[in-house]
Amino acid sequence: MMINDLNARSKWLRQQVFEMAVRTRQGHLASVLSEIEIIVALYYGGVLRYTPNMPEDPDRDRVIVSKGHGTMVLYPVLADIGYFPKSDLDEYGTFHGRLRIFGNIDIPGIDATTGSLGQGLGIACGCCMAAKQDNKQTRTFVILSEGEMYEGSTWESALFASHNELDNLIVVIDRNRKIILGDTEDLLRLEPVADKWRSFGWSAQVADGHSHANLLQAFSTAERRTEENKPSVIIAETVKGKGLSFMQGRPEWHYTNLTEELIEQAREELA
Amino acid sequence: MNLQRDAFIKVIHEAARKDKDVVFLSADFGAASLDDFRAELPDQFLHCGISEQHMIDMAAGLALAGKKVFTYCMGPFLSLRCYEQIKCALAMMGQPVTMIGAGVGLGYADAGPTHYVTEDIACLRALNGIEILTPADEVAAVATARLCLDEPHLRYIRLDREPLPTIITGKSDEEFEQGMLDGFHELAVGEHTCIISSGYMLHRALEVRNVLVRPLTVQPINLGVIDLFRIKPIHPDPLIRVLDRYETIVTLEEQCLSGGFGSAILEVMSDNLALKNKRIRRLGLPDRYYFENGGRERLLDEFGLSIGDICTAVILG
Repeated sequence: MMINDLNARSKWLRQQVFEMAVRTRQGHLASVLSEIEIIVALYYGGVLRYTPNMPEDPDRDRVIVSKGHGTMVLYPVLADIGYFPKSDLDEYGTFHGRLRIFGNIDIPGIDATTGSLGQGLGIACGCCMAAKQDNKQTRTFVILSEGEMYEGSTWESALFASHNELDNLIVVIDRNRKIILGDTEDLLRLEPVADKWRSFGWSAQVADGHSHANLLQAFSTAERRTEENKPSVIIAETVKGKGLSFMQGRPEWHYTNLTEELIEQAREELA
Repeated sequence: MNLQRDAFIKVIHEAARKDKDVVFLSADFGAASLDDFRAELPDQFLHCGISEQHMIDMAAGLALAGKKVFTYCMGPFLSLRCYEQIKCALAMMGQPVTMIGAGVGLGYADAGPTHYVTEDIACLRALNGIEILTPADEVAAVATARLCLDEPHLRYIRLDREPLPTIITGKSDEEFEQGMLDGFHELAVGEHTCIISSGYMLHRALEVRNVLVRPLTVQPINLGVIDLFRIKPIHPDPLIRVLDRYETIVTLEEQCLSGGFGSAILEVMSDNLALKNKRIRRLGLPDRYYFENGGRERLLDEFGLSIGDICTAVILG
């Protein structure tokens, strides 16, 4: 898929998740909007190995959205690749619908139940270790929020992954620099992020998390780096609420609180 | 008399030889039998660092890929430090992982309250879908290990730090198997009063029976003794059928009394309308932390769980 097509896909995905958030008036829309290009590059940019219509394909790459509050970004994509009927999307967030803000493994295409921060990387280590033991080529991609770097368990898993040379593990950090109460660097500094991962024995790259070209380049480099027997991390510099002028970079938008006026404005901006 | 952990791990080791999907994870906790395991099957042993939370999350990932996973570390650091990982990664995803906690209760009496785990039954039994088992001797440890291999399920296995003498004896194979299904063994059939316990404290319960049953005692008491090795889930019908024979029931645990072993028995009796005309006395540890030296026996004696204390509770009901 060409870059222009990927851009169109990202526009489509933004519109989809926005309308889902409007219908339910719930969720973490700003956190979802910051990871759109990452997901589009992964699923439509030829990075992820999967078979459309076959969510249980044993040789598929695994995807763990460790920032569980950002899981709903996957639903339009998973419906689009035939993992479940598109009609499921209409029931998102309703009592009888199976799609929730956070994902669970009963949903086709959701490889781990997440929501409590700092657990996805450890689960991914298990997936990668099992693939190594079974001589399988499957890889595991983890979407980590930067907030998860505050969880000690993330670093426990980072140690394990490099010591055990889990080169089938690729982590993308959605580095939008915002947590609930403000900017990470003001509240409790995370930088230098790339150096921290490198010092843990990882191959680390920084990418523009809203540029498909940049992200695809990073994924491609990450695959090549596996020759060094290292797990790979891509620090994707993103903007929380990307695409909506009133939401971009505003920590108060961690939760969705849309008025009718803002909904109309947003539809125009996302069109 | 072997350590329970060695008996347990030996069984897993034998199975792992034939099945490469059996994987053993340790957070830097050892055993002689584990040395044999990791020397012979290094690819099936994963050292997780002293990173218990990571160990549990990784166990979930391995189990999702079809591995038969055993996690192993010291009781308190397995059950309490990883509580949320156990909830989210194992219980919520329903992964059939066996968690082996060694040194429960006051087992690490020389180390103090950081190393005691007197809340694990109360905490872990609140999690949905978990099974909690406390084998009382080597025979029970072996049977428990086989159960974990043959019928994988999310389980927390509470092993004692000390080697414990064999007490589950004189049972036919059928009786023992039935006990494994029911979740308890009736070790002594008594009259009027029985005592329910598990693990290390079960040995105290049997000592109490031996004291009270002596003809030299002013009024000998034939005390029933029940080994309720599976505290979750409790199958109410067989247990209540046995308890119905007694008027007084004493529960005995090396745990805090809030929500622990005795509480679970009270709940099941209450929910099944089995409390009528019964007197139930719960014995456990007082609600505080123990910084005193002196060893496990001394601590239990000092804190209301001496043989004399338990005898008094049984006599007074």
